[in-house]
Amino acid sequence: MKLDPAFIWTAFIQLLSAVPTTLELTAVSVLCGLLIGTAAALVRIYRVPVLHPLASAYVTFIRGTPMLTHLLLIMFGLPMIIDSVAEGLGLPFRSVSIPMIGFAFISFSITAGAYMSEVVRSGILAVNRGQFEAAYSIGMTTPQLLRRIVLPQAFASALPNLSSAVIGTMHSTTLAFIASVVEINAKAQIVASTNWKFFEAYIAAALLFWGLTIAVERLTALLEKRIHIYNRGGVA
Amino acid sequence: MGTPFDITYVFDYFVKLLPSLRITLVIVEFSLLIGLGVGLIVALPRLYRIPVLQRFSQVYVSFFRGTPILIQLFLFYYGLPEMLKLVHLDVSKVPALYFVIFAYALNSGAYLSEAIRGAVVSVDRGQVEAAYAIGMTGYQSFARIVLPQALALALPVFANHTLAHLKDTSLAFSLGIMELTGKAQTLPTMSRHFIESYLSLAAIYFIICIVLEKLFAVVERRLFRHEGGSVKAGKAVGGLKRLSRRFPAGLDLPKEGARS
Repeated sequence: MKLDPAFIWTAFIQLLSAVPTTLELTAVSVLCGLLIGTAAALVRIYRVPVLHPLASAYVTFIRGTPMLTHLLLIMFGLPMIIDSVAEGLGLPFRSVSIPMIGFAFISFSITAGAYMSEVVRSGILAVNRGQFEAAYSIGMTTPQLLRRIVLPQAFASALPNLSSAVIGTMHSTTLAFIASVVEINAKAQIVASTNWKFFEAYIAAALLFWGLTIAVERLTALLEKRIHIYNRGGVA
Repeated sequence: MGTPFDITYVFDYFVKLLPSLRITLVIVEFSLLIGLGVGLIVALPRLYRIPVLQRFSQVYVSFFRGTPILIQLFLFYYGLPEMLKLVHLDVSKVPALYFVIFAYALNSGAYLSEAIRGAVVSVDRGQVEAAYAIGMTGYQSFARIVLPQALALALPVFANHTLAHLKDTSLAFSLGIMELTGKAQTLPTMSRHFIESYLSLAAIYFIICIVLEKLFAVVERRLFRHEGGSVKAGKAVGGLKRLSRRFPAGLDLPKEGARS
């Protein structure tokens, strides 16, 4: 069997139809992850009594176990919990009606949340202490301080880490094939299985991911430039 | 699914999973060792700005960091035999484990080359100049002066990568390797107690990660014990500290570097 360059192109075209699924998985898990992560980071920074150890345990556990185990645990564990709760309450709802991609969304968001919380935390800690004091001294409340002063600056300093977290999340969406979600990786297998040209299909998939990654990097660079326009000569 | 949760299975599977820990660790060890070598070779052209090779290593690093490890695994699993067939080498009898180790090694080679590059760049330029000044050759100054310092600086990044790498090896099951994850998926096929198996799987990974983290912390403390104080402080006043060590009491230098 020889390498068939023409099929790489054919596979590439067919793989493009799976790109929206990959991007959707990435976007949802990054956005939910950012929300979870910011909440966890704030809880840890402000040392909220009961939640603080919980958030720490969440971050440590998720970062100490592979993403695959999270997906498997959610896929097999969540339906059991939902079903038993629904049965206990006498609701007609059953976990079978949840689409498989839902489990991927939940699991990836939980995973991304733990990694994002570290990104957000380091970003917030990088904000100058004087900024907090200045905001308080002109009478801002804590939510105001966070929204107007701290988070924008934290976002700017966390941007490089954030971009690698986004890329990491995008790469790990390839795991969604376990939940039978047809993203790029699963699509490559489907495309290849018709004529057994796995190598060509995976070359196409790799090139596609490479392109997506470079696109994310370029976008980050642009964003960084924009942020630094009004940040120049500032405190940083 | 359908079977009620039974905590005893978690402990049962925990013990049954332990033997396959060996394969996971074999993958991690060998791929990291090969990856270190590859990373060093790949980092050198970029450090010394060798014209054409520099581009190659840039593309190599970009590719392996720009594509998911799962795709790389499949790429090597399906592609390597084809490639080797071109040079009339039949590897169809070679176990999949070798391909997995090879793929992981090239992957960590890319990440480690960046770590090595960053560490070498952050070694003070004056160190190389001093080495040249006392007549060391290029190789000597790299091997004796820069590399030992760079290794210490690269250790935290290396530790991070090792942990991430350990978790990445869970994907090897997709090529049919019976490491921890693969075993955890096949063990409960009879009893249908999947959650219990995955819980003990997560517990094992968690324990290894914690142990590795502690180990690396110990090594790090040993490597930096000469510097005194934290790593950051050591780096910030590094130049002055070295001087003050060289000239203990006679000169005023220690007072100048009041921070040390």
